[in-house]
Amino acid sequence: MEPLDIELDEGELELPAEPMHLNMGPSHPAMHGTVRMVLELSGETIVKCDVQVGYLHRGFEKMCERGTWAQVFPYVDRLNYVSPMLNNVGYALAVEKLCGISVPERCQWYRMALGELARISDHLTCDGAMAMELGAFTPFLWFVKAREMVWDILEEETGARLTHSFGRIGGMAEPPTKDFKKLCAAALPRILEIVEEGERMLLKNRIFLDRLENVGSISGADAIALGWTGPCLRATGVAYDIRKSHPYLKYDEVDFEVPVGTKGDTLDRFLVRLGEIRQSKRIIEQCIERMPDKGPVNCDDPRVVLPKKGDVYTTIEATIQHFKLIMEGAKIPAGECYSYTEGGNGELGYYLVSDGSGTPYRVRIRPPCFQITGGASKLLEGRMLSDIVPTFGSLNMIGGECDH
Amino acid sequence: MPTFKLDGKTIPFEPGDTIIRAAHRQGVVIPHYCWHPGLSAPANCRMCLVEILPKPGARPVSLDILELDAKTGEYKPVQKPKLQPACYIAAADGMEVLGDESPHVTQARHDVQEFLLLNHPVDCPICDQSGECTLQDYWLQYQQTQKRMRDEPVHKPKGVEFGDTIVYDGERCVMCTRCIRFMDEVAKDPVLDMRERGNLNEIVVAPGRKLEGHYTFMTEHVCPVGALTTKDFRFKARVWFLRVADSVCQGCATGCNAHLDYDPRYNKAYRYRPRENLKVNKYWMCDEGMLSYKEAHDGRVTEPSVSGAPRSTAQALEEAAALFSGVPMESVAVVLSARYSLEDNWALRELAQVLLGTKNVYVSGRPDGYEDDILIHKDKNSNTRGVQELVPGAKPVSALVEDVANRRVTHVIALGGSAPGDTAALGNAKIVTIAAHEGPLTKLAEVVLPATSWAEHAGTYVNAKGMRQLADKALEPQGSSRPAWKQVADLATALGFAPSWSKLKHIRAQLVGTASPDASGAHAAAAPAGAE
Repeated sequence: MEPLDIELDEGELELPAEPMHLNMGPSHPAMHGTVRMVLELSGETIVKCDVQVGYLHRGFEKMCERGTWAQVFPYVDRLNYVSPMLNNVGYALAVEKLCGISVPERCQWYRMALGELARISDHLTCDGAMAMELGAFTPFLWFVKAREMVWDILEEETGARLTHSFGRIGGMAEPPTKDFKKLCAAALPRILEIVEEGERMLLKNRIFLDRLENVGSISGADAIALGWTGPCLRATGVAYDIRKSHPYLKYDEVDFEVPVGTKGDTLDRFLVRLGEIRQSKRIIEQCIERMPDKGPVNCDDPRVVLPKKGDVYTTIEATIQHFKLIMEGAKIPAGECYSYTEGGNGELGYYLVSDGSGTPYRVRIRPPCFQITGGASKLLEGRMLSDIVPTFGSLNMIGGECDH
Repeated sequence: MPTFKLDGKTIPFEPGDTIIRAAHRQGVVIPHYCWHPGLSAPANCRMCLVEILPKPGARPVSLDILELDAKTGEYKPVQKPKLQPACYIAAADGMEVLGDESPHVTQARHDVQEFLLLNHPVDCPICDQSGECTLQDYWLQYQQTQKRMRDEPVHKPKGVEFGDTIVYDGERCVMCTRCIRFMDEVAKDPVLDMRERGNLNEIVVAPGRKLEGHYTFMTEHVCPVGALTTKDFRFKARVWFLRVADSVCQGCATGCNAHLDYDPRYNKAYRYRPRENLKVNKYWMCDEGMLSYKEAHDGRVTEPSVSGAPRSTAQALEEAAALFSGVPMESVAVVLSARYSLEDNWALRELAQVLLGTKNVYVSGRPDGYEDDILIHKDKNSNTRGVQELVPGAKPVSALVEDVANRRVTHVIALGGSAPGDTAALGNAKIVTIAAHEGPLTKLAEVVLPATSWAEHAGTYVNAKGMRQLADKALEPQGSSRPAWKQVADLATALGFAPSWSKLKHIRAQLVGTASPDASGAHAAAAPAGAE
């Protein structure tokens, strides 16, 4: 388009004007799926930002309450779909809390290792996509290449790259493959190498840094007041990580640090995620070192764990067990519980109510990025339109878990 | 009332009660296979074993056993209390009984269950009982362990035809002998018995006989496992897809309480099961009644018709109005039906006596049939008493045939298609029939309006003992059918009247005045939770 070269006084520009309304999303490349921002702009400055969620609302809580307890796993896969394993494990832990059972040690290490792999994949996706949205396409491709390595391992273990449905009440669907440890040991240094390569490229780039630094800042107190958890909270300097504060599985037995930021700006969020990738690598290395090669993965509670397929076909006891668990569902003792784990974006909580039947009476999910998305407008008001892209990207809003 | 304690819970009992019966009456279930509240107790399944604590100061009844010490790997002699079958031991005042709370009882239940499954075939996927099988339920509740036996299980005859209705599977049988005792004690035809012993046990029919009579379906119903199946229900549906409605059998005037099992996906009824009501049918139903669920689908009138040709409801009502225009009221007759609910008959009576003002009220129904002194009543209509209460002087159909022949009646509004005797003479009258099922009166009718069957709407029926019983709605109305009381209301509107009822509750409110509701009806005397 031709530039406007009309000679204008400064005074002439100050015509009476109304703020401009702009709809960003729900279908916008930088809007991570489906979220809509109704912006009120004064020039390029955001006067008001109204973040509207719900475009990916599927009613998953209600869907979870229709089938059996075990049939919930595929639904939770589709909450935060860049780290489904963490959702699987979180739900399994919640139901196990309700039943008062704990899984064998081997399974605990396995769940941790798979979960941390999923966390790496989550953070790589978020940081990579954010860089890409600012025009840095190469680091995105590198990060996705590293993510592929994670997904290759997960595919080898679970048979699926993304929606694993691998968690089970009282264990996992399968024991670790015999190459699991070797695969992790081989892939993790490569992944870190790629991350560092990408990092070198981005963190020496003035434009990239200028667009992140001091953009979308929030104080620790404000973040807590908004209910933020996870990397976005830690970027403000609050070292709250459920794995450290309320350890579950074997997190109290492994060495790792909680990376924190200082200013709570977009750059801090970016860096905290990169830091967490390194910590996840440390955790996985400790897991594969300490995970026994032999022993049961599933607990032996016949009320919840499926029998071996071979037995189902040949013995009546196992057939009955299978029938009861599949057709009527595991009878979870009546009661309620809240169980929470550190998901990719923060505290992923499940509040479950059982009436003692094979179907959940209530499945309430606390997705971490619902609260985080709720604070997005606070970060953006007063900033420029172009700040939306990196800031919103760094919040890692995932429609699948946010909308409910 | 004397009481005893079961796991610390106080259970009152009547003198002569066994422990299990007293507990059953309180809704406390002691696991059992062979015991049935309506049959004698053989105490052969051993599932109901309980520990009875000795009276203070008395010597405990105990057994010397050898127990394996897991640490040393050696057997050491110990004593364990002698457990007693709860179905056979009479309750005594102040007795202390341990069930769930005794580790010995828990172990015994586990072991009994393990023995029962020892030779059981892997049949759940093809077994009709699957989903309502006591073996499955008790495995989860009391056993929870896997098979330890490595040997080939004992094989027995499968798919043995016991008669025209029942098929027996010897491998699934747990030898509870309920079917034997039912035929012996209730049906009074001891045609079944057990042969061989130990794990070669099987149920057999007396030589030269078949399992026959009017109560064969009950043997399947009392069977706690999938050993006996009816040919009617075999392989037809999986029970976990079925929904249950509390219904009342329409087969005869006994009005047996029943569960009507239907599949909501196909709007189809699959079977009847007796519903416990000690004042009516106890725990039982007859074969004819059990099969009468089929009338929800067979021989139905589902679309309106005029002179046999299908029409819309509006057209049929228009035709009916045309038929009745200018007809003097004294030549109009109304036929109530003893096969329809009190509500339906009330609506038609209201049309006859209040709106039309005719005194010609008749009652139709099915002709009398077989009867016995167990359950089956010779009156094959479910609501004869109800119609009698509504219109004490209603004349029989034979009187209507006469009146039509004498030209005293020229126009008829009839409820229900069935009528006893020779009704061909009714062809001289103009008939409007509201019916759920085809019959002589639908064939003779000018206008037929489809009514829903008892399975498709809630209704009240008065049985031969004068008990009002409620049958719940199970299915959705089929075709264009609507409840008969609603069709009567529409017919009244078409004839130019303003009916006083448009909802079921209007009729129910009126019914309270005409016949006093019997508190001993189906819902009031519902079985305690966990009853058979």
